[in-house]
Amino acid sequence: MPEPVTSHYIVIGAALFALGLVGFMARRNLIVMFLSTEVMFQGVVVNLVAFARMHNHLEGQAFALFLLVVAAVEAALALGLVVLLHRRKGTLDSEAWAAMRG
Amino acid sequence: MSPIVAYLLYGLFAVGAAGLYLALPQPHPASTRVAGLLLGLGAIVGGLILLGARAMDSGSTNVFFYIFAAIAIFTAARVVTHPKPVYSAVYFVAVVVAVAALLVLQHAEFLAVAVIIIYAGAILVTYVFVIMMAQQTGSAQYDTRAREPFVAVLVGFASMAAVAGRIADPNAMGTVAACEPKATMPANVAGDAASEDTPTQDDPGNTVRMGRSLLGPYVIALEVAGVLLLVAMIGAIALVKKKLPAEARGESPVVIGQVGKEVKPF
Repeated sequence: MPEPVTSHYIVIGAALFALGLVGFMARRNLIVMFLSTEVMFQGVVVNLVAFARMHNHLEGQAFALFLLVVAAVEAALALGLVVLLHRRKGTLDSEAWAAMRG
Repeated sequence: MSPIVAYLLYGLFAVGAAGLYLALPQPHPASTRVAGLLLGLGAIVGGLILLGARAMDSGSTNVFFYIFAAIAIFTAARVVTHPKPVYSAVYFVAVVVAVAALLVLQHAEFLAVAVIIIYAGAILVTYVFVIMMAQQTGSAQYDTRAREPFVAVLVGFASMAAVAGRIADPNAMGTVAACEPKATMPANVAGDAASEDTPTQDDPGNTVRMGRSLLGPYVIALEVAGVLLLVAMIGAIALVKKKLPAEARGESPVVIGQVGKEVKPF
């Protein structure tokens, strides 16, 4: 089988990002929505490391490491907010907050 | 490299998008969902065959990339389409492991292990805690109905086609060599791929080089990341400590585990 080149990894990263995007828009459960944003992060990490390999430089991998830090921070704060929202309404449904729309 | 491959890729993405639309949780029978997943799996396999057929120049056997790429994309689709959130979390662990394998294939071993430790070890455990606390029923009413699935799948397909179509048709990108790894990388030379795995005097391996670069050119960003973590920890504690007025009176405003009421989407 042929050796995977950079464009292969970029397509995989784009696929992961698009799947996370679809999940964020289509699901109503707050936790599954944030899980989809984590899937988007995975796609971006694959992309960054592929480009780092293409340029033969470690900058992409360092950036991916900081992206990991930001993802952990975002997960912690997002779950804190989800817990607060759940305490208010008793449900994880994002449609329960539909009064904020429009 | 012809536009035919780009159109073939678009067609495969359309098939995958149709499969994803069928697989999203909607009020239709489980057989339709299984059919959607099989359609998506076929699109993934077709796409990987197309990618493999594109680069028919080197003869090295690198089947692991295709295996882990298929696993990553299929389990990511299951994360997004499974009606029970706990299953979504566990499928996400599979995504993380597959992405870590892809990173190892690109000789980014430190990042691969960091991804497994941080994601599967910390973030996912937190997610499972919150799921167990907030949703005792396995699949609530709002999990079985996707919100605007057709528009969501259309947007995902459009973004995917825009990115991959440009890559598949390099006439639109300027230089054909823009996406290929540079020839000076040691792993490109046939038979020398093993020299990058074992640390030598002048190439000490990915972890040592990452450590040197993190404490060298990127040390300020490293310190800022530490401050960011501290601020986020303080913020998270301050967020959840706030008592609702009903809770301050001693009564709980909601019964934990109660399923939310039916709200009509849009």
